[in-house]
Amino acid sequence: MASGNGAHGALALATPAQVNRDLLERHQRRTGDTYWRAMALFGALFVLGIIGFLMRLSDGFSDKAVWGYYAAVFAFILTTAQAAPLVAIAPRIAKGHWRRPISRAAELWSVVGLFNLLLFIPLLWVLPSLEDTRRTLWFFDAQDPNFSQVPIFSPHIWATLALVGLVVTGFMLLWVSALPDLAAVRDSASGWRQRWAARLAPNWQGTSQQWNFLYHRTGILGAFYFIMLIFVHFLISVDFAMALVPGWIDALFPITHAANSLQAGTATLLLTMFCLRQFGGYKDYIGLDQFWALGKLMFALSLLWFWFWFSSFIVLWYGKKPSEQAALQLMMVGPYLPAFMAAFVLNFLVPLFTMIWNPLRKSIWGPTLIATSILIGTLFDRIRIYVPAYSVPGIGNRFVEKHELSEVPKSILPDMADIFMIVGAIGGAIFIYLLASKVLPVINVWEQKEMLLYRVHKPFHRIEVLVLGKRD
Amino acid sequence: MAGENWGMIVDVDKCIGCQACVVACQSENNIPINEEKHFNERRAIEWIRVERYWEGEFPDVKARFIPIMCQHCGDAPCEPVCPVFATYRNDEGLNVQIYNRCIGTRFCSNNCPYHVRFFNFWEPEWPESLHNQLNPDVTVRSRGIMEKCTFCIQRIRRTKRTASRAGADATDEEFERSLDPACVNACPTETLYFGDFNDPESKVSAMKEKESKRDGRAYTMLENLGTNPGVIYLKKIDKHAEDVAHG
Amino acid sequence: MQEHIQLTPKEINQELLSGVLGTPKWWLGLVAFLLLVFLTGAGAFGYMLNKGVGVTGLNRPIMWGFFMTNFVFWIGISHAGIMISAILRLTQAEWRRPVTRAAEVLTVFSLTAALMAAPLVHVGRPWRAALWVFPYDFGRGVWPNIRSPFIWDPAAVMTYLTASTLFVFVALIPDMAVIRDRATGKWARQIYGYLCMGWRGTPRQWKLQTVAGILLSALVLPVFVSVHSIVSWDFAINIGVDGWHSTIFAPYFIIGAIHSGVSAVTMVMALMVWLWKWDKILRPDHFDAIGRLLIIVATTWFFFFIVEFFFAIYTKEAPELALRELQIFTRPYVFLFLIFIITAYFLPVPLWMFKKVRRNVKWMFWTTVSVNVGMWLERFLIFVPSLARKTPLEFNWGTYHPSIIEMLMVAATFAWVAMGMLLFSKVFPLIPIFDIKEGMIVRDEVKIGRAIVPASIRE
Repeated sequence: MASGNGAHGALALATPAQVNRDLLERHQRRTGDTYWRAMALFGALFVLGIIGFLMRLSDGFSDKAVWGYYAAVFAFILTTAQAAPLVAIAPRIAKGHWRRPISRAAELWSVVGLFNLLLFIPLLWVLPSLEDTRRTLWFFDAQDPNFSQVPIFSPHIWATLALVGLVVTGFMLLWVSALPDLAAVRDSASGWRQRWAARLAPNWQGTSQQWNFLYHRTGILGAFYFIMLIFVHFLISVDFAMALVPGWIDALFPITHAANSLQAGTATLLLTMFCLRQFGGYKDYIGLDQFWALGKLMFALSLLWFWFWFSSFIVLWYGKKPSEQAALQLMMVGPYLPAFMAAFVLNFLVPLFTMIWNPLRKSIWGPTLIATSILIGTLFDRIRIYVPAYSVPGIGNRFVEKHELSEVPKSILPDMADIFMIVGAIGGAIFIYLLASKVLPVINVWEQKEMLLYRVHKPFHRIEVLVLGKRD
Repeated sequence: MAGENWGMIVDVDKCIGCQACVVACQSENNIPINEEKHFNERRAIEWIRVERYWEGEFPDVKARFIPIMCQHCGDAPCEPVCPVFATYRNDEGLNVQIYNRCIGTRFCSNNCPYHVRFFNFWEPEWPESLHNQLNPDVTVRSRGIMEKCTFCIQRIRRTKRTASRAGADATDEEFERSLDPACVNACPTETLYFGDFNDPESKVSAMKEKESKRDGRAYTMLENLGTNPGVIYLKKIDKHAEDVAHG
Repeated sequence: MQEHIQLTPKEINQELLSGVLGTPKWWLGLVAFLLLVFLTGAGAFGYMLNKGVGVTGLNRPIMWGFFMTNFVFWIGISHAGIMISAILRLTQAEWRRPVTRAAEVLTVFSLTAALMAAPLVHVGRPWRAALWVFPYDFGRGVWPNIRSPFIWDPAAVMTYLTASTLFVFVALIPDMAVIRDRATGKWARQIYGYLCMGWRGTPRQWKLQTVAGILLSALVLPVFVSVHSIVSWDFAINIGVDGWHSTIFAPYFIIGAIHSGVSAVTMVMALMVWLWKWDKILRPDHFDAIGRLLIIVATTWFFFFIVEFFFAIYTKEAPELALRELQIFTRPYVFLFLIFIITAYFLPVPLWMFKKVRRNVKWMFWTTVSVNVGMWLERFLIFVPSLARKTPLEFNWGTYHPSIIEMLMVAATFAWVAMGMLLFSKVFPLIPIFDIKEGMIVRDEVKIGRAIVPASIRE
């Protein structure tokens, strides 16, 4: 599986110097029309999103129900874009060579984290404080002297800190793993690129000490990014969704939320790869091997989607406990059944019945199409969780008695502002990614060069074989 | 003659904790004698038990009693988990146990939130002198199987049989008393009422209707589990608390 | 750095067939001892069969105790084989080669131990237990209740047992052919010849064997996940037991199973180095690799443990809080809890962080023994205290002391698995010969500057 760009690196990029020259030249070449057209399109969507947001803002923050779709799209970006870097991190830690051409493309998505941090800010006003005595991560209880000291804005504080931590880690990872490339740009480019690169990588000489530092730090930062991502998913999924629904106690949900993000992150990267290959002109670097490997990963993660969902579902459903029935009613089989069915079909059934077929996995179009299906499914999945969760009024009215939902609120359909915000947030994320792709080479130059060192073709009896080295 | 929904109403206010119901149940249903060692081992079998809770701090301590038997749930948690269908809800609203089919996985007991399913750890034994007091209408359960309150189904069967021979309805005045399980018969304070909730004329239906109103005392045990029990409890009237509340 | 020792095919045969073609000195004595322990347990079971379940320490409300704990423990151990074999085979990890066979065989024997540990013995009327697995009494239309997790359970375990036996068998075929060619007795020759189904080592046969291995790996993975999920649902679907009713149970049990299972495989690896002196094949870097895997697995497990615990107190409900108080602060559970948390995580994981420990057979053996002690207690601490604090009816809260009968029967399952592995090692090699040979062939090196990086040949 892991034979780099293998047979599909049509161009004979046999030596590190050639790779170096080719990639840096591509990076500094004047940008083409496709790029500007894409920028214009996604920029326009972004503007639309801002308009939608302003429309929504006129409703104020007092009624959190109208902000459901906004929360859903925030969670969607968290689930997709912010998880994409992991697809570079995991195989790097496992020393999979196929990751090399796509690791930069994956890490660049961490730039979008900054955008998502901005999206997060209004939610701080939308989320009620802990005074409504809901169950939370923070055990606030006004009556209990032990727990009345808990700050009533704990969810807001900690989620913000965690999200900032995640974004900072993402940027650090991107920067550290790009140091050699920045140095190469510094030494070869001119103009603003050269100035920026010189500022970001002033001291990189490529000494073995520096390389050791690089390997070590990318490993640690990668692991840390993973831990932060899990942590952020934990806080967001519990404080910003689960705690809002009384009686919904699902210990697996934070982990499901994070596992879904691995699947959606892989799908995001697959689409990115496809665009880079098809429109970015990197056909020689991104080949079938990457699609095949990621396709297999995505297939496995789609099965995992079902397993996590079912593990929660069977336990909540089997017991017929009213509080749990109400939660299922709210988010699965009740008013949001169409959204749930869409998520179920697109996230699980479609990948299962198509990707099980190897010719489809081992193609360019197959994994790309399924990735699209998964991304749409994930959006529906986030909608069917966040919109109903935000539509539950606080404790102390006819919907909620103690910690149980006694009546399921009606479904909320997106209005114009919601649709604007959804397309705007997605458009904005892509817009920012496109911008970022101009600052750094989209293909990791040093990893690409390094791979050439590990691959040797040798004669073996009567045939020639590929020998692949793996560092310990 | 199906379609009943047998149930019970327990007026906790009247219970004095005398345990007469426990003893009556014991002898009616061929339950082996619970000796001290059985209680110490926590293996005593009591289809109905009187739980005692202490309330308040010394010197103002009160004992609270609550009789608990199988709640004959409408959505019984014990039923779906039995691998061999040894327990199911019959069409008379009873949660019945089929001794022959039971293999003793004890899954039902674990899933019963009311702790009212009992396992026969040993072969049942009675002293020689008691061999002739066993009720011929009730199976003696062998070791290794589960058992629990049946609402004295043998009495229901017998009453129905007699009634149909006499050409009358089992819920007629004349027969109503003979339907009652042993515990109801034995209770000196009329804490327990037995009857058919599907029959709007029955005493329990009337009580249920009255007590389910806003200021009524009716509640079911562990309501949040949604088991839909067939036993309705009536809250204790706490005179002292009321006095305190009203000054 | 001579990490691997290159052996010729002949040397590999000699080395790995030492246990099959000859009998080590310790073998008979050890097997006899284990048989004794096993028979004692069997005797205890006979006594229980004769007297009733009353001879255990079970009571109301603790209706499941040592047997169920042991059942889940062995199901957990059985997850090692597939974890190591299937996942590592699919991801082409080279270090799996000497480990796969022992892991798969451990799977098969621990599954049989699991079947012995609970379903057959813990029920009230074992003589009728078979009736719950097979539909019976067709005439009256009485069928098993498929809504019950106890029907899903045998279905899943039996499927897993079948699949993993097949898995072992497919990987054994080339090795059995090797033994057939070297066996001296007439009977042995015939039996091995029969078992290896005419293996001649033609390219077509190799291709079929490889494809079968990969297919079985891919197909057995969903089974592997389903088995422990279903076992966890025996507990999680109970609304009557607050401590069990948690959605996280399925993944939590699986990751716990992998934790204890991979540790058990490490124990077996260490024993193979010590008992059969296969240190030329099981190198320190194999222990290193499995040690690194264990760090990740253990930490993930620990995360699930924290989350499970956290969401129990998240509810702030009385039985849950009482349960956690019992588990953590009340004697004797507090001692068990401390032992559990230290042996399952806080002792081994910091040790595994050191490369020296990971590459040392003794350290790896004792740390993984510690993990399995901890993981046995973990299951115990999940099941028993939860039953002891079942619902808010505190009048019925109880406690549990296992009886000597239960302990003997638990010991018997351990003896059974160890004995099974030893008997297996007498008739088949515990390390796949063909896989080691293949590993020796595809192993290569890549020179980068002055450094030499281990490499392998890929198609």
